Amino acid sequence: MSIWNYVVTAHKPTNVTHSCVGNFTSPQDLNLIIAKCTRIEIHLLTPQGLQPMLDVPIYGRIATVELFRPHGETQDFLFIATERYKFCVLQWDPETSELITRAMGDVSDRIGRPTDNGQIGIIDPDCRLIGLHLYDGLFKVIPFDNRGQLKEAFNIRLEELQVLDIKFLYGCPKPTIVVLYQDNKDARHVKTYEVALKDKDFVEGPWSQNNLDNGADLLIPVPPPLCGVLIIGEETIVYCSANAFKAIPIRPSITKAYGRIDPDGSRYLLGDHTGLLSLLVITHEKEKVTGLRIETLGETSIASTISYLDNAFVYIGSSCGDSQLIKLNLQPDAKGSYVEVLERYVNLGPIVDFCVVDLERQGQGQVVTCSGAYKDGSLRIVRNGIGINEQASVELQGIKGMWSLRSSTDDPFDTFLVVSFISETRILAMNLDDELEETEIEGFCSQVQTLFCHDAIHNQLVQVTSSTVRLVSSTTRELRHEWHAPSGYSVNVATANATQVLLATGGGHLVYLEIGDGILTEVKHARLEYEISSLDINPIGENPNYSHLAAVGMWTDISVRIFSLPDLNLITKEHLGGEIIPRSVLLCTFEGISYLLCALGDGHLINFLLNTSTGELSDRKKVSLGTQPITLRTFSSKNATHVFAASDRPTVIYSSNKKLLYSNVNLKEVSHMCPFNSAAFPDSLAIAKEGELTIGTIDDIQKLHIRSIPLGEQARRICHQEQSRTFAICCLKYNQTSADESEVHFVRLLDDQTFECISTYPLDTFEYGCSIISCSFSDDNNVYYCVGTAYVLPEENEPTKGRILVFVVEDGKLQLIAEKETKGAVYSLNAFNGKLLAAINQKIQLYKWMLRDDGTHELQSECGHHGHILALYVQTRGDFIIVGDLMKSISLLIYKHEEGAIEERARDYNANWMSAVEILDDDIYLGAENSFNLFTVRKNSEGATDEERGRLEVVGEYHLGEFINRFRHGSLVMRLPDSEVGQIPTVIFGTINGVIGVIASLPHEQYVFLEKLQSNLRKVIKGVGGLSHEQWRSFNNEKKTVDARNFLDGDLIESFLDLNRSKMDEISKAMGVSVEELCKRVEELTRLH
Amino acid sequence: MWKQIRDREEGKIRSESFAHRFKSNRIAQLQLSNYKDIVSPHKGAVNSLQIDLTEGRYLLSAASDASLAIYDVQRATDYESGGLISKHKCLFVVDKQHDFGHKYAISSAIWYPVDTGLFITGSYDHHIKVWDTNTTQVVMNFEMPGKVYRTAMSTLATSHMLIAAGTEDVQVRLCDIASGAFAHTLSGHRDGVMTVEWSTSSEWVLVTGGCDGAIRFWDIRRAGCFLVLNQSSTQLGRRPPILKCSMTTKSLVGQTLCTKPRAAQRKLSHGSGSRQLPIGRISAKVPMKQRLHPGMLSTQDRATAHYGAVTGLKVTEDGMYLLSAGSDSRLRLWDVESGCNTLVNFETVRLQTNKPIQLVTTQDSDRVFVPCMRSVKAFDMWSGNTCATFRGHYECVNSCCFSQQDQELYTGGNDRQILVWSPPRLIDDEANEGSMEDQDNWSS
Repeated sequence: MSIWNYVVTAHKPTNVTHSCVGNFTSPQDLNLIIAKCTRIEIHLLTPQGLQPMLDVPIYGRIATVELFRPHGETQDFLFIATERYKFCVLQWDPETSELITRAMGDVSDRIGRPTDNGQIGIIDPDCRLIGLHLYDGLFKVIPFDNRGQLKEAFNIRLEELQVLDIKFLYGCPKPTIVVLYQDNKDARHVKTYEVALKDKDFVEGPWSQNNLDNGADLLIPVPPPLCGVLIIGEETIVYCSANAFKAIPIRPSITKAYGRIDPDGSRYLLGDHTGLLSLLVITHEKEKVTGLRIETLGETSIASTISYLDNAFVYIGSSCGDSQLIKLNLQPDAKGSYVEVLERYVNLGPIVDFCVVDLERQGQGQVVTCSGAYKDGSLRIVRNGIGINEQASVELQGIKGMWSLRSSTDDPFDTFLVVSFISETRILAMNLDDELEETEIEGFCSQVQTLFCHDAIHNQLVQVTSSTVRLVSSTTRELRHEWHAPSGYSVNVATANATQVLLATGGGHLVYLEIGDGILTEVKHARLEYEISSLDINPIGENPNYSHLAAVGMWTDISVRIFSLPDLNLITKEHLGGEIIPRSVLLCTFEGISYLLCALGDGHLINFLLNTSTGELSDRKKVSLGTQPITLRTFSSKNATHVFAASDRPTVIYSSNKKLLYSNVNLKEVSHMCPFNSAAFPDSLAIAKEGELTIGTIDDIQKLHIRSIPLGEQARRICHQEQSRTFAICCLKYNQTSADESEVHFVRLLDDQTFECISTYPLDTFEYGCSIISCSFSDDNNVYYCVGTAYVLPEENEPTKGRILVFVVEDGKLQLIAEKETKGAVYSLNAFNGKLLAAINQKIQLYKWMLRDDGTHELQSECGHHGHILALYVQTRGDFIIVGDLMKSISLLIYKHEEGAIEERARDYNANWMSAVEILDDDIYLGAENSFNLFTVRKNSEGATDEERGRLEVVGEYHLGEFINRFRHGSLVMRLPDSEVGQIPTVIFGTINGVIGVIASLPHEQYVFLEKLQSNLRKVIKGVGGLSHEQWRSFNNEKKTVDARNFLDGDLIESFLDLNRSKMDEISKAMGVSVEELCKRVEELTRLH
Repeated sequence: MWKQIRDREEGKIRSESFAHRFKSNRIAQLQLSNYKDIVSPHKGAVNSLQIDLTEGRYLLSAASDASLAIYDVQRATDYESGGLISKHKCLFVVDKQHDFGHKYAISSAIWYPVDTGLFITGSYDHHIKVWDTNTTQVVMNFEMPGKVYRTAMSTLATSHMLIAAGTEDVQVRLCDIASGAFAHTLSGHRDGVMTVEWSTSSEWVLVTGGCDGAIRFWDIRRAGCFLVLNQSSTQLGRRPPILKCSMTTKSLVGQTLCTKPRAAQRKLSHGSGSRQLPIGRISAKVPMKQRLHPGMLSTQDRATAHYGAVTGLKVTEDGMYLLSAGSDSRLRLWDVESGCNTLVNFETVRLQTNKPIQLVTTQDSDRVFVPCMRSVKAFDMWSGNTCATFRGHYECVNSCCFSQQDQELYTGGNDRQILVWSPPRLIDDEANEGSMEDQDNWSS
C-alpha cells in the first residue's frame, strides 16, 4: 500500500444520537429530525409512516440538535452544535428542498477546560437565548434580538463545576436555567439561575433543591401550565417547582432518554438502560400538581432518544441496537406489553470487532461484525451488492431472449416463460406440481427465434419473429391475427407493450402497429437514414398500456432518437459519440422522474433525463458497468421499479433520493433477465447465465446488504476458521434480573453457514474474553482457536491474571487442548512465525508451542518486551511487530531469531491514544486514535542517525470523526482482475457509530489528480450550515490541530456524481478535464466499496 | 481499567472522558518510579526542571553549581535488571567549564515554547542566556540588574518572543529574543520579583509575584499593572440572590430519598470527583466592583496576596485560576477573572521561604504538586485536601515538573537528585518463570 490514502464510507453511521419533532419543512408538516453523529436526516410523518425527505452530512460530530421557533415564524428552525465548537441555525427551503443557513458561528473559547460530561445546548422556550455548556465553569449565552436574529455571545461564570444537566424552565418572566450538579462530596443538587442579559450575569433563581438521589442525571422541564422540573434519578423521580415538591420511588434503573407526549407536559415516556419503556404521569388538579405515577409499558431497543410523533406513534432512536418505530396500544398484548414494534431501522453500531470472510467463495468479501450491546447484541453480515436467492435452475445453452407471459390480462401471476434460442423458441410453464415444464402455445411460431414477446390487451399475447408479428389469444392459445414483414425485409429488432408494437426491418424501416381485439393495424411507417440497433416503447406516461414516445438507437451515426407515437415524428436526436452502437435503450421512470437509459456495446451506460411532454433529453451522464454489451430490462420489487442491466457485470439500476444508483448483483455473468412472478415463485426473476436458466428472488435493492443474527447477548470478538468452517466469538450475557448486574462470559462456536451456536465454552467467574484468533503452530498441522482472557476482579484496578486458551474444533465441538496462565489481561493475540504473540498488560510476550513427552502440547514463553503503558493493539508482518499503545502511539518492534529476543526498532513520539492499528506495507503503518483521527507513520530505515532511525515519521493525518475499533485488510467488492480498481489495496474499518469504511492506497498520480478534484469540490459543494470541510478534516486532538495531509475524503469526491451538470462543468473547467473523464474516474472509485 | 477500555470500545463513555479518567487514575497512583531513573550529573541543588512543550520528551534541569543538563525521558540510555529499569543519563551537560557557562547558580532554565532548538537560562550571575540546543552555544545574552530568580515565556504567544524575568530588582524586565534587547520594564513591585508566569488565556497578560507579597497582573501592551490581588477580597456575595427566593429553598436532608452512596456505574464519581468550590453564598450586602484599572487607588495598589514574599505562581491550564505560594507557608487559589481569593483552604504546610519554588498542576488542574521542604505534596485543587505526599529527597525540594503526556512527576532538590514519580508498573518476572519451567522439564 502507499502513503496516499483515500478514505470512503461504505456504510453510513446508523447510531441515532438525537432526535426531535416539529414543523420544520412547512407549518403543516410534522417532521422527525434524526441525528446520526455526522449526519442529519429529515423525515416527514405521513399516514403511511415516516417518509425520508433529506439525508445530509454535517462537517462535524453533532453535539446537540434542537428545534425552535423564533417570534413571528410559522415553522421551526433547526439548531445544531458540533463537538468542535461550531454551531449553525438551519431553515428549510421549500423550493429547492434544501437547508438554508440562517446563522452560524464558532463558540470556542481560549479559556476553560472542555466539559467531561458532554456538551449541553439548550434553547429558551420563549426563544430569548441559546444556552451552551461547553467548558467547565462557563455558561455561554447567545441572545436573540426582537427579530429573532442572534446577537453576540458572552460567557457567564458557573461556579458549579461538575454539571450533569442544564435545562431552561418554562413560564418564567426572565430566562431561567435549572442546573443539576454534583458537589465535592459527590452529593447532587439542583439550583436555578436567572440570566440577566443586560448585566451578562446570573442572578440567583427562584428555588433550589439539595441532596437529591445519588443517581439523578436527567432534568425534564415541564411546560405551562404546570411548569417546574422533573428530576429523574435511579431510585426516585422528583417533581420540583417553586411551590411544589412531589417524589415517587421507582424500580432501580438508569433512565437514558425521555420523550414528552402531551404539549401540556403531563405525560412522558422514559427509556431505561435495559430497554424498558415507562410512562410517567404528572397528576394534577388544574395547575396544582398532586402527584406522580409511573407505569411500565413494554420493551424496546435500548433508547438513546425518544420522540413522540403523533397518535401513539413513537420513534425510539438507539445507539446499541436497531432504532424502532413503535405504536403504543391502549390494550396490552398477551405478554402484557403495550408496545408494538412497527418498523426497525438497521443500526450496526457499535461495531466492536469484525472479520472479513468469503463464505460463498466467490471472491466477494463479506464483513461479519460484532454489533450492538447488552440484549441488543448481534452479528451482522454485511455484503456489497445484491444477492439472488436461487430457487430453481435448469441447464439450457444458448439463450437469446426471455419473456414472461400471463394466461389472461387480469391474472396477477405470470404463467409462461418464453425462451428464445437461435433457431427455435421454447415455452416453459409451471405445472400443477409447481415444476417448470415445457409446454406449447399453438399460435406461436416455435421453429424460429423470437425477437420479442409481450402480453397484450383483450387476453392476447404478441410474438415478434424475424418475419411476422403474431397476435395470439391467451385463453385459446390460437393465432388471431398476423402481420407479415414485406418480402425481402426481415425484422431485426422489435419491441411492444400491451397496445403497441414497434419494429424495425433492414434498410432503416420503422413500422408502428397497434393492437386491437383480434387485429393488428399498421398505423405508421417511416424510413430512417441508417439501420436501427435498438428500440423501446415502455409506457412511462399516465396510461400504463400506451406510450407516446419511442426511443430508437441507431447504427452508423451512433445516435439515440426520440419519436412521437403514433405519428413517428422525430422529436430529439442525441449523438452518443464514440464508435460503439447503442445495444439496448429503455424508457423508464424512477421516483417520478423519467429517464432514457442507453446501453452501449462496450459495457457503458448513458442516461438522460427525459421530459415526457416535450420529449427533450437533458443531463447526460455516462457510467461504465462492465465490458460486454448490456441488455436492459425493468422489473419491480417491493412496489418500486428497477432496471436490471445484464452483462458480464450484472447491475441493478435504482433510484434513491432522486438519484440514480448502481448496485452490482452477486452473479458472475448474466446474458438475459426477465421478471417471472409466478404463483409458485412470487416476485422472482428468471436469469440466463453461463448455460443455465435460474429462477430466484432478489434481495432488497440497496447497495450494502445486511443480514442480522440476533444473539440476545453481546459479542465482543470474532474470528473465522476456514478449515472447520466455523466462527468463534467471545461474548457476554448480562444478568439483569438480580440487583447487582453481573455478566457471564463465553467462547462460542458458530457454524459459518447457519450461524447456529454449535458449541460453547463458559469462562470462569470474573473471567472476560479479550481476544481471539485462529492459528496454527510450527511442527503441528492442526488449526487452533486461541483465546486470550483476563480476570477482572472488582477490587483490582488492572487485571493481574489472565489465561491463553487453545482450542481445537473436533466434531463441531470446542476442545480445550492447552491453557497458559498470564500475569495480566491478554489484550491481543497474533500468529507470529509459527508461534503465538500475546500482548499482556504492559508487555509483549512470545510463546512457542512445545511438544511434551506425553504427546500433548503446551505454550511456553520464549521472550518478551516491556515498556508500554498498555499494549492494546498488535499487528505483525514477517519479523516486525507493530504495537498500538493505549496512550503512546505506535511503536515498531523486531523479533531477532538468533538471539530469541524482541527489541524496539522505532517509535512515534507523539502522545496519541490509540484505538486501532494496522500495517499497510513494510514501511507504512496506519493508526486510529482517541480523538477520532487517522494517521500514518513511516519507518525511516535509511535515516542518518540513530535518532532518525528510531523515530516513526508521521506522513499522513486526517480527521475521520469516527471512533475506529478495528482495521482489517480486505475488500467488500468482487475483485475483478481486469479492472484498474481491482489492483488497489484496501483496508476496511468499523466504528462505534456503525460506520464501515474503506481506506484505499492510491498510486501517486491518481492521488494528485483527486486531491485537485477535492479542493475544487470544496469550492463548489458548501457544507451544511456553512461548516468548512477543510477544518472538519484537519487532524485535531487536545495537543494540536493541523491540516489533513495524504488522506482524501472519498465521500466528498464521490459526491461529484450527484452534482448537476452546470456545477460539473464548473469543476471540469477548473480541472481542465472533461466531465465524462471526471465521472469515469470518480465512478471507478465508487467500485471500491 | 479493562472495563473502561471496553466501555470506550462500545461507545458507552466518550473517548475524551475515557482519556481523562485514565489519566486521573494514573495520577492518583503516582509513586517513586520502579522502572525509570534519571541520573543527575549535578553537583549542586537542582533549582529548575522543565519538560519540553512540543514532544514531552526532553527534560531540562539546572542547578546551583551553574550546571545544566538535558535528558531524553522517553528513550533510555541503558537498562538495568534485565531491561526492567531504564536509566536516563543526560544527553549533554553544560557547566562552569563551558566557555559561555554561567558563573553562579542557575535559578531557572526553560525551553523555548515553540521547539526544542533553543532554551533559556537565568542565573545568580545576573545573566539570562539563550542557548542553541544542538550546538550548546549561547546565541544571546542579557545582562540583568541583579540575580535572576525566574524567567518565563508565553506558550500562547504568536506575535512576540519575550522572556519575562524576575530578578532582585523591583522592575520586571521583558527581554526580546527577536531583537536581543529589553523590550520594556514593568514597574510596580516594591521589592525583588521571585516569580513570573504568563497567562494561559492571553498572550499579553503576565503575572508576577514579588518579595513584597504582591501579585500583579500586567497587560504588556499597556502601561502599569491592571490588577493587584488582595488576599482579603473574596467572592462572597458576588452574585446576590433575588429577594423572593430564599424562602422557597428547601432541603431534603434527612428525608429518605437520598439513599446510600452508590459508587458503581456512576458516571462521575471517579477519583477526581470533587471539584465543586466550597463557597457558600451566605449573604450579600454590596456587590463588589471587580475589575481594577490602571491608575488604581493607592490603597488597592498596596494590596498584598501573601504576608511575606510570593515564592511560586501557577496559572491553571484552563486560564481561569491562579495558584500562589508564599513565604507565609500559604497556598492561595485565585479566580483570575474577578481577582478574588477563592478561599480554598489548602492544608497547612511548611514551604521554603528563601527560594522561589516551582508549582505544577495536572492538565485538568484537578491536582497541584507543591514542593514542601523535603517532600512534595499533591493537593486537590478544589478542596485543598492533601491527596498524596511524595517523600524521597533527603533535602529540600526546589523544583518539580509534570509530564502531561506520560503522567510522570520529576522533582529536583538540594540533595542534587532528580527523582521520577510514576504510576507503578506491574513487574512480572515471566522471563524467570519461563526458565523455571525449563528446569521443570529437565527435572521431570
